[in-house]
Amino acid sequence: MAFQNQVLFAKDSVYVHINVQDTKDKDAHIAGRVFLLNKPEGYFIEWKAEDVLNLETTSEEWDVINYKNDREGDSVSMNAKMDARRKYNISFDILDLKSFKRSAPNHGWAYIIFILKDGTTFPALHFHNGGSKALLKELENFIYIRRSPNDPRLFLVKDHDPEQLSQSINELSLFTDSSGAYVQNFVNDSKHGLSKKFIKSPYTTTLGGFSKVTNFLRDVLMTPENSQNLVRPQSEVAELLQDDIPGMEISQLDEPGFEMITKTKLPPRPTVKRGDPLASPQWNSFFDAEGRISKVDELKDIIFRGGVDPALRSEVWKFLLGFYDWDSCSKKRTDQRKRKVDEYFRMKLQWKTISAEQEKRFTLLKERRGLIDKDVMRTDRTHKFFAGDKNPNLQVLYDILMTYCMYNFDLGYVQGMSDILSPILVVMENEVDAFWCFAGAMERVCHNFEMDQNGMKVQLSQIHKLMQIQDPELCAYLEAHDSGNFYFCFRWILIVFKREFHFHEIQRLWEVIWTDRPCSNFHLIISLAILESEKSTLLENKFGFTEILKHINDISLSIPLEETLRKAEGIFLQLRDYKKLPISLKEILGLLPPAHVPASQSMENSMFMGSTSNSSSSLQQEAGVKVDTPTLMAGGAGSGASSVKGVTRSGSGSDLTKGTVGAACSANVARSIGMSARYGGGARQSNGGGAGGNAGATCGMDDVHKVFT
Amino acid sequence: MASRKKVLLKVIILGDSGVGKTSLMNQYVAKKFSNQYKATIGADFLTKEVMVDDRLVTMQIWDTAGQERFQSLGVAFYRGADGCVLVFDVTMPNTFRSLDSWRDEFLIQASPRDPENFPFVVIGNKVDLENRGVSGRRAQGWCHTKGDIPYFETSAKEAINVEQAFQAVAKNAMAQETDVELCSEFPDPIKLSGDNNKPQGNNCPC
Repeated sequence: MAFQNQVLFAKDSVYVHINVQDTKDKDAHIAGRVFLLNKPEGYFIEWKAEDVLNLETTSEEWDVINYKNDREGDSVSMNAKMDARRKYNISFDILDLKSFKRSAPNHGWAYIIFILKDGTTFPALHFHNGGSKALLKELENFIYIRRSPNDPRLFLVKDHDPEQLSQSINELSLFTDSSGAYVQNFVNDSKHGLSKKFIKSPYTTTLGGFSKVTNFLRDVLMTPENSQNLVRPQSEVAELLQDDIPGMEISQLDEPGFEMITKTKLPPRPTVKRGDPLASPQWNSFFDAEGRISKVDELKDIIFRGGVDPALRSEVWKFLLGFYDWDSCSKKRTDQRKRKVDEYFRMKLQWKTISAEQEKRFTLLKERRGLIDKDVMRTDRTHKFFAGDKNPNLQVLYDILMTYCMYNFDLGYVQGMSDILSPILVVMENEVDAFWCFAGAMERVCHNFEMDQNGMKVQLSQIHKLMQIQDPELCAYLEAHDSGNFYFCFRWILIVFKREFHFHEIQRLWEVIWTDRPCSNFHLIISLAILESEKSTLLENKFGFTEILKHINDISLSIPLEETLRKAEGIFLQLRDYKKLPISLKEILGLLPPAHVPASQSMENSMFMGSTSNSSSSLQQEAGVKVDTPTLMAGGAGSGASSVKGVTRSGSGSDLTKGTVGAACSANVARSIGMSARYGGGARQSNGGGAGGNAGATCGMDDVHKVFT
Repeated sequence: MASRKKVLLKVIILGDSGVGKTSLMNQYVAKKFSNQYKATIGADFLTKEVMVDDRLVTMQIWDTAGQERFQSLGVAFYRGADGCVLVFDVTMPNTFRSLDSWRDEFLIQASPRDPENFPFVVIGNKVDLENRGVSGRRAQGWCHTKGDIPYFETSAKEAINVEQAFQAVAKNAMAQETDVELCSEFPDPIKLSGDNNKPQGNNCPC
């Protein structure tokens, strides 16, 4: 028989926001109910989506996961939806709660972010119809909560640490049930006989007044004599004292081996304002009669300050990502584009025309194909553009990544690249444009992906160096907690915060970063800004290596973008104006005048300081396409694209495996195919999946063509 | 004997990209499966409280990126591991062939006290798929040559055998813990019967 969980508190209209970008999207805010429950295993805070709750009303149990039931449900689509909803279920034992953050008072409605002892950080629960205070009040009956002295939004739960508790409550005879105002109750073990045990903190002995003692009572066990008598504990417990003990300062940094460093005296942080996105009329006004952008710097300033109107992105990004030269006129751009289309399809043909037979002796390509295959299937599949089975845009994603392998064979495909490509493809909606913009974006970050990982190590250490000056206190804390290597920032840097922000936000962030303002290493300063926002959470929760990593992973998708950008620019200005800023930091921040940088160090001035790889040269966008065309084309592309696996498998590949006429295909043919495809193909349309195939008519090329048109 | 202190077991999941490491972790800890997990970048972990031989144990299960070049950073997370789950995809023979290097690399980087008896478990995942490429016999054979590593065939998608595999690594890791506790109590180490090496729970058709 199922144990009937006792509901101590429940509140409707508590939302989890999963897609803040699209407020019209009804799935953006999931309505749900929050509970405080008395379960056999303890007191739990739970949140469930209303849909899930409605489905579960038949079930007597409150089990968070009731997996078997949904498997056996009638409707598959219903199950899928429920699974998606259930993904957001929240359930935790309040004894695991370490702290929580509340919304700022001026926020439209209240929200609470719960943080557990292992660093797990749940998505914010938004109380659209109030109730957050009531929940916290209820919670206070069971745990002692203290407001952080440093961050008014942060609340800390006093730890439950029986090891340190030495004396029995009997010695404190003044604490009886009736003086519940001074104790906290935990029903700790409802299975066994129930012991009544008050434990007092060792600190208490040194304190005079009982009013002070109360705040240090850590753990009091008080269970009724038998489980039938389980009483709602809050009825036995009066409100805890609300205030901190006056005069009691708890050191935040009492770790052994840790030395408090006085703050660097950076100049005060200037207030910075963000601007409006670059909009169409303004954008047009920058072009002269020949279609040349007149004031590039001014334009970049605008983009840095406010980003770009989404409608303009596909045009503006082509400049930001080097598809077009900033100083080009319309005529030149037409030529540039034509050439790039040709180049793209030439490279695409290179891998398309490698037969399965050939690939058996081409392990490296086969491995890359395998990796791309796997990653394409799991890149932003919740985004509309890539959602659903057999979405043709997956094919485009795949083709671009495979072609990039040909473009930069030394680098090949590395996990994370599909994350870089996806927002670009969504903006471009065109395979060729997306490819070249992706190549341009990759040029900025290719060192992140190199075999020796040196580019990553350098950047993580640069964050470290910057923080030593910018926030020595936080820096020392991280060092003292095995986190001085900043590995917890790895994902941030590798894919430039792609997983940390919502899709529309990452597009905004990237266009800001691509302006190289205020310096080419702004992404490192952004890391400092985010860490500064999390500082009190990390320090006051006394998080160690694992908890820091967990917390940083979990704040993904809940970092406020504009606030972070303002903060980051402020930090940059502080550092820039700091008179004692070490030369090495000036270099990182691009603050040394170019003349002062020795030629050998000019590389170090960029974000990829210290990288020794040669492949950077091959990434030069213009130079990189000087692949000798005939080498891979030679010998007839007879069996054509038969080796295309995965996403193409069901499509066009099959009819070509028959081995068509082995007419040699020249690069010119490829080009002509490219040309024709160029005008036909946006990413959305470019994949009929090879439906109208005229198999074997010419050669493998035909298949290539089909994929394009 | 020793204190009944709450035990934390750190378990690392290793294996090639796309074999299902994240899915196995989520299936075990949260009992859920999604087709939409993204490729893991960096590292993450989940914790789960389990009972092992009447002791409450917190398992901290680490999931890392599968692509080879990220391993130079991944090793930071191997340190202090109490157990290791090696995963391959039963439909992809190359992922099985990689097990050797995953195991070797782990032993080098984590440098456990007793590499011979380190609690590994091997998981052949995705048994729900049709196109099988690695036989149970072959996998079993490899496990046998590596000191009888317990072998499990699982489906993270269908929640088949996942619980058993992780339970096994927890149990074996606990057995090692106990050894250590005893060793530290007595100046001369006492060899315990190595019953933690017993292969268990293999449901494969050999």
